[in-house]
Amino acid sequence: MQRQKVLFLKENYVLRILKNFMMAGLFIIALLLILVHKVDLGVISGISKGIFYITAPVLHVVTLPSEGLSYGYKKASEIMNVYEENERLKQENEELYLLKDSLRAVEAENILLKDVLHYYDIPKIKIRTARVIAETGNAFANALIIYLGDSASDIKPGYAVVGKDGLIGRIDIVSGKYARISLITDINSKIPVITAQSRDRGILIGTNSAELKLIFTPLLAELHKGDLLVTSGIGGGLPPDIPIARIKRTNTDTITAEPLYNPSKLEIVKILLYDIAPSKEILKELE
Amino acid sequence: MKSDFKNFLTSAKVFLVPTISILVLVILSYIPRTNDYWNFLRQTPFYIGIYFWQSQRPDAFHLISAFILGLFADVLGGVPLGINIVTFLVLYMLSVQCSERFNVKRFSYSWLLFSGIIFLTLIFKAILTSIFYRQLIPLTALMMEWLLTIALFPLMARIFIWVEKQYIHLEERYEKI
Repeated sequence: MQRQKVLFLKENYVLRILKNFMMAGLFIIALLLILVHKVDLGVISGISKGIFYITAPVLHVVTLPSEGLSYGYKKASEIMNVYEENERLKQENEELYLLKDSLRAVEAENILLKDVLHYYDIPKIKIRTARVIAETGNAFANALIIYLGDSASDIKPGYAVVGKDGLIGRIDIVSGKYARISLITDINSKIPVITAQSRDRGILIGTNSAELKLIFTPLLAELHKGDLLVTSGIGGGLPPDIPIARIKRTNTDTITAEPLYNPSKLEIVKILLYDIAPSKEILKELE
Repeated sequence: MKSDFKNFLTSAKVFLVPTISILVLVILSYIPRTNDYWNFLRQTPFYIGIYFWQSQRPDAFHLISAFILGLFADVLGGVPLGINIVTFLVLYMLSVQCSERFNVKRFSYSWLLFSGIIFLTLIFKAILTSIFYRQLIPLTALMMEWLLTIALFPLMARIFIWVEKQYIHLEERYEKI
């Protein structure tokens, strides 16, 4: 049987070629986006902000019922334990009164010594609070989305975010009344730290898992299991002395640490408005 | 004129339902978690959704949908822009190849194929992310994400089948689920 000649291209064939071209085009666009992100141009941040502006309020609305449920549960358990809580607070109050007197004396001495040594304080840190509305972490990135409310105008990318136990991450994107936090466990996170006891320095890096790695430590560093790591303030990006993690394991080749915060218990976080640039008055004094 | 508009609305619905169904499940998975395993489930609706809709209703799920979903996944997840887009395009491409060669209408085959495809996709994504950060992604986290994604496939597939049945006409169904 003789095969019939086809004069025109079949529609399906044309569509297939077009689809292949489209796929190649989309791949190229995506790879270009990765490259541009690596170079860190403002375009990427604009696109991210735009999409974030649309999706974050939707996420907030979706999480509202779960927020209500968790609030109800918390209030109910507080009412159940009100008597024990009252006793505990009374005891704590007595201890705090004693501490207050000794602190007053130390504060007075501190002012005197600062004056004698011409010591300049680190800039006063302002604080804003925000509510965690979503956790978007996975095996490839660890992040949180927070609702800033009216304080959104004061928040800039790079500001430190702390929970009640210590540092949890840094502001990554601010868009509208929402912000995305890159957590300290994220693979992109690298924080200069210092051990609270031996004052050995290092860089604490995220691994996208529950463990952090401590690198670039001195050869003769005295590091032990349970040592507290705090921010060193080197580089000026973060305020010094914020607790961040505890050393979990120290081997000859790797040192691992565990973050102080519990991700499942983060509801309200504090944002530290830390700007390293000194004020005009301090600059004048230094001159 | 009226029938043209109606046709347009119907085709828009067919195009939008798969993408929206995936996004709704993803948004639900972003509710603050109660345990650590939840972290590995966040991207599951994306992977399962793209594979499911492409293999079962290729007319309703396009390359552009995979691209848009990738964009959302990048911005919400905090990964470098483009990583999830490329990954989802690879997943889309692999599922196109598989649905052309194998009988994906049979659930057991489909599940088996998905476990292979998702393994390759996750490895590709891990390589891409590791190159970007010049640091290896922890393999345990990757394996955990792979296993949980495979385990959740029947449940998610059921949800998507329900969505399809409810909102866009379903011509062929799984033989057995």
